[in-house]
Amino acid sequence: MNHGLVLDGIDFSYDATTILQGINLTIPAGQFVTLLGASGSGKSTLLRLVAGLQFPERGRLSWSDAPITGPGLNRGVVFQDYALFPWMSVVDNIAIAIGKARPETAKSARLAEAREYLVKVGLESAIGKYPFELSGGMRQRAAIARALALGSPLLLMDEPFGALDPVNRARLQDLVLEIWEAATPRKTIVFVTHDVDEALYLGDRVVILGSTPGRIIADLPVEFTRHRERRSLFNSDEFHQLRESIAETLAADTLRQLVAA
Amino acid sequence: MPETLALETREVSVTPVPHTHDEPARSAVSSRLLPVLEASLIWIFLLGGWFVAAEYLPLGDNPLVPSPLITARALWDSLPELWLGTISSFGILVPGFLLASLAGIGLGLSIGTSPRLQRAFFPFARVAAPVPPTVYIPYAIAILPTFKLSAIFVVFIGAFWPIFQNAAAGAHALEERYRDNARILGLSGFEYHRRVVFPAALPHIFSGMAVGLGFSFILLTVAELFGANAGLGRFVQYYADFADYPKMVAGILYTGLVTFLAMTGLEKLKRRALFWQR
Repeated sequence: MNHGLVLDGIDFSYDATTILQGINLTIPAGQFVTLLGASGSGKSTLLRLVAGLQFPERGRLSWSDAPITGPGLNRGVVFQDYALFPWMSVVDNIAIAIGKARPETAKSARLAEAREYLVKVGLESAIGKYPFELSGGMRQRAAIARALALGSPLLLMDEPFGALDPVNRARLQDLVLEIWEAATPRKTIVFVTHDVDEALYLGDRVVILGSTPGRIIADLPVEFTRHRERRSLFNSDEFHQLRESIAETLAADTLRQLVAA
Repeated sequence: MPETLALETREVSVTPVPHTHDEPARSAVSSRLLPVLEASLIWIFLLGGWFVAAEYLPLGDNPLVPSPLITARALWDSLPELWLGTISSFGILVPGFLLASLAGIGLGLSIGTSPRLQRAFFPFARVAAPVPPTVYIPYAIAILPTFKLSAIFVVFIGAFWPIFQNAAAGAHALEERYRDNARILGLSGFEYHRRVVFPAALPHIFSGMAVGLGFSFILLTVAELFGANAGLGRFVQYYADFADYPKMVAGILYTGLVTFLAMTGLEKLKRRALFWQR
């Protein structure tokens, strides 16, 4: 049985500074979790630990009942800075992921499959182009296509839309939801953001990290029905109440930090 | 009539709009010609100085400064010989430089990405790299069976270090996001080096190759002074020995031109390979 993602007593320090302290978190398979926190709350670090790019000082991480000991193709990652390889065409950037995830696929089939993923994220016009020819939003679409192409059941997204303008940001949020809702079984998504609206619009659950050191200060279910409609949701009382209580939680943590300093 | 209208709009949008300048025609011409003129100034000045020196200085029957016209004729007459010399020189330069590029890039990328290899190799490199490669020439000639092999070896040594050092620096400076991405995708070993480290380090590698190519020409011509029976450096030395200064100067100019063309070719290759850089 898949127990999803389990983080058990995670501590992490860097240069004698405690970044994360006592993180306990269980995310069932198929859940869309947003990790919300101010900068310096260690939310990106937490995601890097799950990705296997860094290792905790103490504690255990496992995904699908297997301990996380390094990066693996069962976990796809989308970073904030468009980390496509600039020297490869967009389609090659996707095809290389397919080649690693399913090496038995023939070269021509990899390219065909890569094209399908690009169409899926609305990038059919950019298939033969290079990253430098694309806008920020298009590059991030390509990064999403690459993460999807890996076929991993767990998707880690580190402020993927942080550098985008509001219009593109909203479009890509809808794209992620659309892809996630259409798939069966649903992928597990851990989505890091510092934008409260984004966290509430996307997540089944918002996990809030406090700062210095990073630790979980709230873990709230977000029970709005799926196939959410942006405008009516943002205007609803329930949304406002939840938004208000999250803002209070974050403000209380900032105050606590100031008092401690 | 919508058709005419469309045509008119297109014509208007295609025609350059001159209202950004006060004197559109003149500034357009001067903005194109001025850089050419500026770049020509030094050549005009040098050529003029050469003419004056050759014509008006009392230099005797066999002047050390032959006039530009005499030199041009000597160059024309020597072209077949210079062409053979070029082939002979390139028979040394090309293998030496290519081997240095292959070895420099391969070792540089491997060592630049491995802290352990860095600890093993860098102390040696720090001692070996600064040795002027010219000091190896007599020993290389003594120890290797043919002059050609010794010259290739010396060119190799001269070009290897700058290429190696730059490739290693480029691999070492690989941006963390590319490294993270490669790890996420499970790229490792040769595939990681070929598809990620090598292209990312290319800007550094090309800088190293430009320096290495410059050294190659220096070492080539110096080595040819020692024992060659053909080649560009040999040509200049040979006619200097006979005090045939027009041919000697012609050889210098020709060698300069060949070096310039080789450098330009490398620069073109670099622009082509690095098209993805903004």
